[in-house]
Amino acid sequence: MKGIVPLFLGIFGTFAFSWAGLILIPNYQIGHLEPQLDEDEKNPYPAPKSGMADRGRQIYAANGCVYCHSQQVRADYASTDIDRKWGERRSAPRDYLFDRPVVLGKMRLGPDLSNIGKRAPVEEESVSPAASPAPASPATPPASPAVNPAPGASPAPPATALAPPATSPAPASASPAAPANSPGPAMIAADTTSAANDKPAPYSAAWHHRHIYSPRSLVLDSNMPAYRFLYEKRRIGGERAADALTLGEGDAVPEGWEVVPTYDAKCLVAYLMSLDQSHPLNELKATAAASSSAPAAPAASPTPAPAKEAK
Amino acid sequence: MNPSDMPLKSPSAAPVATTADPDVTNRDVEQVERALIDASTRLPVLFFYGSAIAWLLLGTLLAGFTSWKLHAPDWLSNVGFLTWGRVRPAHMNVMVYGWASMAGIGTAIWLMARLCRTTLRHPLLLICGGAFWNLGVLLGVGAILAGESTGYQWLEFPPYASSILFIAYSLVVSWAILMFRFRRGDHIYVTQWYLLGAFLWFPWVYGATQIMLFAVPLQGVMQEAATWWFGNNLLFLWFGAIGLGTVYYMIPKVIGRPVYSYHLAAIGFWSYAVFASWTGMQRLVDGPFPAWMITASIAATILTIIPVATVGLNHHMTMRGHFGLLRYSPTLRFTVFGAFSYTVFSLVGVLLSLRSVAGYVQFTEASIAYSHLGLYGFFTMVMFGSMYYIVPRLVGREWRYASLIKLHFWSSAYGVGLMVAMLLLGGLAQGTSMHDPTLAFTESTESILPYLRGRSVSGMLLTVAHLVFAFHFGLMLFGLGRTASVPTFLNPQEEETLEAPL
Repeated sequence: MKGIVPLFLGIFGTFAFSWAGLILIPNYQIGHLEPQLDEDEKNPYPAPKSGMADRGRQIYAANGCVYCHSQQVRADYASTDIDRKWGERRSAPRDYLFDRPVVLGKMRLGPDLSNIGKRAPVEEESVSPAASPAPASPATPPASPAVNPAPGASPAPPATALAPPATSPAPASASPAAPANSPGPAMIAADTTSAANDKPAPYSAAWHHRHIYSPRSLVLDSNMPAYRFLYEKRRIGGERAADALTLGEGDAVPEGWEVVPTYDAKCLVAYLMSLDQSHPLNELKATAAASSSAPAAPAASPTPAPAKEAK
Repeated sequence: MNPSDMPLKSPSAAPVATTADPDVTNRDVEQVERALIDASTRLPVLFFYGSAIAWLLLGTLLAGFTSWKLHAPDWLSNVGFLTWGRVRPAHMNVMVYGWASMAGIGTAIWLMARLCRTTLRHPLLLICGGAFWNLGVLLGVGAILAGESTGYQWLEFPPYASSILFIAYSLVVSWAILMFRFRRGDHIYVTQWYLLGAFLWFPWVYGATQIMLFAVPLQGVMQEAATWWFGNNLLFLWFGAIGLGTVYYMIPKVIGRPVYSYHLAAIGFWSYAVFASWTGMQRLVDGPFPAWMITASIAATILTIIPVATVGLNHHMTMRGHFGLLRYSPTLRFTVFGAFSYTVFSLVGVLLSLRSVAGYVQFTEASIAYSHLGLYGFFTMVMFGSMYYIVPRLVGREWRYASLIKLHFWSSAYGVGLMVAMLLLGGLAQGTSMHDPTLAFTESTESILPYLRGRSVSGMLLTVAHLVFAFHFGLMLFGLGRTASVPTFLNPQEEETLEAPL
């Protein structure tokens, strides 16, 4: 080959071709989406996450959670993700509008987390009143952002989504006196197990904290490393902190000591609790209707999702 | 043919030289000229190689943590900077930007100087670039371990570290363009196409992705698309191009005959450039993207069979009748292993990208096997081969121990083979149990555990290989190599085998 000019042009051409084809055109197609509104122009989905949850995503990325946990549910015709109850519908580009970095993940050495927040008991503060009311309830940092609780009950306008303690039904840490709301049937089941084992109900904030601190105390076969550096072990000064962890026998701390989450850990759990893709999307209506009948509805899902699909 | 003069044979790799008659004086002139070129590249190339090998050792250590922690999750997990989720990206970035890129740049510098037939001008520029590159990697890896990773795979370095990398790169690439400006003869050899391509593609792809992620961030899932577009282009257009270019130089050079077909080479290069650059989205099968993007990348991945076949055929035909030399030449052995791995790597890539297969293995360790097949089985082995060729010409000594080279080769070959086998089979086991919703999810993570332990064993083999190589390289660096006019052969020469090639 002679002459550097054709070589240079060819090299540049292939680069430009692939950039235009794989980035520019897709970006034109899905790169400028808007949140979806209900028919009455309210209740936008997705809403930006709260400050803590947003910071939690940075913690999630920085500590490499993404190398084991995906956050994408594949369609039912291509995978068994929906059968595994990782979601009720496949993920769509619109689900990730405000995510930066977006952490879709490429590996499942741990389960998919797209809907982990949704799988929490609905009124988690009432879960284990018998076992240990004090630690369980306010361990909830101002967790549930506005997208998590039933949108029909308290239509959270997008502006207030940034201040979840105000509108969220979950109690803010400012009011540790946990109101004992009437538990649903799912929670009673969870309650009995948790009372028996002194374990927090699965996927509640207290459960996440204990799971991050000591994974194998909750999931026997878990392969997840413990992230104890996100927690602080300290001597109880005066009264036991409201957000101290309830730990199993293996991890019991000496008398007079307690383990409390750092701010990073609280953000991380707030982020996990905010993960929820259950909101129906118009572009997936056809598939959602088809798939919602097939798998049994997940245990704790009194969401308005089915109602909306009916509309 | 006598193997003793093999490496100094007339540059059949550059077919232009065939016009010069095999006149003795002409050859002597060429040899002196080449010696001068080699001498001029000594400092920068050794600097890049030395840094690369230092990163390789650090990367191996981090790899050990990564691999071991997967089946011993509580080991050293209480220290923030040693947590698995930070060690893993640190390992990957050290290997990609520290080891592979620096070794690749070192080899590319030397090849460019040889093929442009010009002594290296402004070596200071290159040393400067290398120093900045080291600084960028050091800052980036420090940031990852300190918990400042950006969370984009292959792009975990925070922007301040990646911009230093970019400055370093600009210094190197401006030099490479200068080199082309002063080249002698207007023929451009195949290797130079690939190298020029690599030198230009890398900054474009890297710069564009950095801008799309950090300066003018894309919305939502498009960030992930950009990340994978970058990841695969880095693999193919940067590492792949340097690796293939090196193979195109080393095989003809060592066996002393020109490339079999120049036209095949051209077809191979351009089809590679077009198809390989369109891959990437096949890693996102059934993800939240328009299906056509993914399908386009799957199609492109399948079409890469064309360049793979042409390049493989070309090398095979060049090698034909000279496979016996694999017994003697370390360079040839590593290079041919690498070239063969490239074919396997591409075929595995095609297999993993098919929707029916991806449905099972997409979220499993099989993708790690794929990356290691490309970055280690192919690229790293080719780089080892080129180092075995180039370093003696820079330090004026020959490799001290043939036994160490053999040990290096076999532990690397068995190590990477075992690793890829373990991860592919493990990925398959993991994927099939994950695909069956009647099994608990933990069944899938349990099913891969034995394979992960096997992978740790393969990592030990690779550790041995790297330690041996670093020791040997150190000997060369400190002038403790053999002083001999004959290169170090792996086995004692047997004249009859060489006289009558297969």
